[in-house]
Amino acid sequence: MSWRIRALKKSPWVFHVNTGACNNCDIEIVDLLTPRFDVERFGIKLVGSPRHADALLVTGAVTAQAAPRLREIYRQTPKPCVVFAIGACACDKGIFHSGYHIVGPVDKIIREIDPNAIIAYVPGCPPKPEAMISGVVKALSAL
Amino acid sequence: MNQQELNEKIVEVEDKLIAIEQRPGNRIFLLCEAESSYTINRFLFEDVQARFVIATGIDSDDCFEVLYHYSYDQTGCVITINTYIRDRDNPSIESIAPFLPAAEWIEREIHDLLGIDFPNHPDMRRLILSDDWPDDVYPLRKDAEKPTKRPDGDPVSRPIEQTQSPARRTIQLSKPIIAVGPLHPLQEEMEFFQLAVDGEIVTDIDMRISYNHRGIEKITESLQFDQVPFLVSRICGICSASHPLAYVRAVEEIAGITPPERALYVRTIINELERIHSHVLWFGLAGHFIGYDTVFMWAWKYREPVLDLLEEITGNRNNYGNVKVGGCREDIPNELKPRILKDMDEIERKMDMLIKAVLDDPILHARLKGVGILTKLDAIRYAVTGPTARASGLPIDVRRDDPYAAYADLNWNVITQPEGDVFAKAVVRLLETLESIKMIRQAVKRLPDGPIAVEVREIPPGEGCGRAEAPRGETFHYVRSDGSNRPVRHKIRAPSYVNVPSFKASCIGERIPDVTITLAAVDPCYSCTERLAVADENSKITHDYEALLQLSRDKTDRIREEIGSQHLKPEDS
Repeated sequence: MSWRIRALKKSPWVFHVNTGACNNCDIEIVDLLTPRFDVERFGIKLVGSPRHADALLVTGAVTAQAAPRLREIYRQTPKPCVVFAIGACACDKGIFHSGYHIVGPVDKIIREIDPNAIIAYVPGCPPKPEAMISGVVKALSAL
Repeated sequence: MNQQELNEKIVEVEDKLIAIEQRPGNRIFLLCEAESSYTINRFLFEDVQARFVIATGIDSDDCFEVLYHYSYDQTGCVITINTYIRDRDNPSIESIAPFLPAAEWIEREIHDLLGIDFPNHPDMRRLILSDDWPDDVYPLRKDAEKPTKRPDGDPVSRPIEQTQSPARRTIQLSKPIIAVGPLHPLQEEMEFFQLAVDGEIVTDIDMRISYNHRGIEKITESLQFDQVPFLVSRICGICSASHPLAYVRAVEEIAGITPPERALYVRTIINELERIHSHVLWFGLAGHFIGYDTVFMWAWKYREPVLDLLEEITGNRNNYGNVKVGGCREDIPNELKPRILKDMDEIERKMDMLIKAVLDDPILHARLKGVGILTKLDAIRYAVTGPTARASGLPIDVRRDDPYAAYADLNWNVITQPEGDVFAKAVVRLLETLESIKMIRQAVKRLPDGPIAVEVREIPPGEGCGRAEAPRGETFHYVRSDGSNRPVRHKIRAPSYVNVPSFKASCIGERIPDVTITLAAVDPCYSCTERLAVADENSKITHDYEALLQLSRDKTDRIREEIGSQHLKPEDS
């Protein structure tokens, strides 16, 4: 295990990217920060810039307008980083799979610029906060 | 005017119409050719003083149709102007945006999606489709195919600037521009605002949406009537009870179905629980933006019991999927009633504390009063709805004006405030939470016995308008059926669609530290503030988001010192 990965697992700072989600996954992500779940206890912190982030929490099925921004954000994130596809839409376009403005899902867009990206999937519509915590724990212990 | 006078008034323009149709459910349809649409719209807005709701563009077999929906709130009547554009090759209809700013966005949207021209429109840039969308593909036309051809060059190497088409900008770059967005790390939609500033004062604002455009109106055309509620509940996760309800009401209007009484009460309870959780969520974020992180944490903590109740009833914390055409899917078990009442007592106690903390706090008064004022006149011109309208002294509320579910049976008040500033919007939302608690108590106590759904076999041809009061304002759904098992057109108007453009009226003239909270006050996307960056003429970033949030918080601290008060400390329960 490289020292970079070891450092990443200690206290993952996350950046939240909404690529055309319905806000459900997004409010549940913010819910993680508030008293009932409070993931800051574990050193998980939401940061305001991808340049500070160890992990991206990506929600939404990726609309045509959001895709270039998602690529740009992934480029700006220091590597190694973990991409979490949060919710059914991010994992597999979900209920919006036939939409004309949808170019996702998230893994397709990210792999276009980095075929070796580390991507973890948390399905659910929306996934419960407990599921998101469990997803992060599983992904980090698999690294 | 009462309904009788309204009907007589409308007859005044009869000679310009093909027909006037009175339909059940207090709906009036005015059929006319495209040429007379401008006159009739102007007549409805200025003489009848109806509130513009939305317009719907439809690709019919032999022509295009544009439907302008108005609401006459005194009688709960929906007036629809159904115009026919016969020229399919060069469809065009005169713009009504010059006298009605509320119609500006929807005309741009119809232009994007159906390719209909609107002569005299003040600002016909691309609104809803992505920058790299081909110019000649109109996705809502019946013969449209998903475009496979994208601009040249592979997406990997193409620099991001190339994807930003001329649709992007109009504000003159002679002044410093603050770019807000398009991405906000905290949550909510991507949206892109540009504020032109003169020193500290905002002089112009421009918006670009599309980041969140998923094409739901097209997807519904491929779903059966019974599948659509699951899709529309995913329009917005926080309004996931009101959107399906508005849709279901529209379909029930077409088929003439009356759901059983118990279903109406269950719908009411779910919608009011949603309102509580949404308003409390907003209040927490508003606290966060002006530097009261304690309020943020406390408000979100108090919200959890509401989500637990929703999970208990519907099986999910959000996206309830509980309404269907003809009734509800999940019942509220009678054993749950005592727990709902107990939780309501608990939430009411917490809300009382929060409300007292806000109304008595001199710092919040100094920080929020007189900030981001939306005058009553502007509220009418931009046709805003919900708490945004009620805080500007417009007493409109679909729950009272066009009662649905069980609202007509319950005893409650419409909360209004005359000032139109951010403080008024906060007060309206907080007091509405108490009204919601009151309504849930009554509804739970009176919950009648019986079935929760009737059997629905076929949806006949026809059209219906369904409305519901979402936490942010009126949600409007228009559904047209041709007798098959799928809608031929389903138009959706979410409340933020009219509330967001009102920033043009409320933000201009404000100071930069106040803009964050003014944008948040409408509750469209609080997180606009999260990616704020001030750029000078060469687009070099001089203030990033953190700096701007700091500006906002510094201002609160300064006021706090001047007043000599301490941090807000809500007492623990």
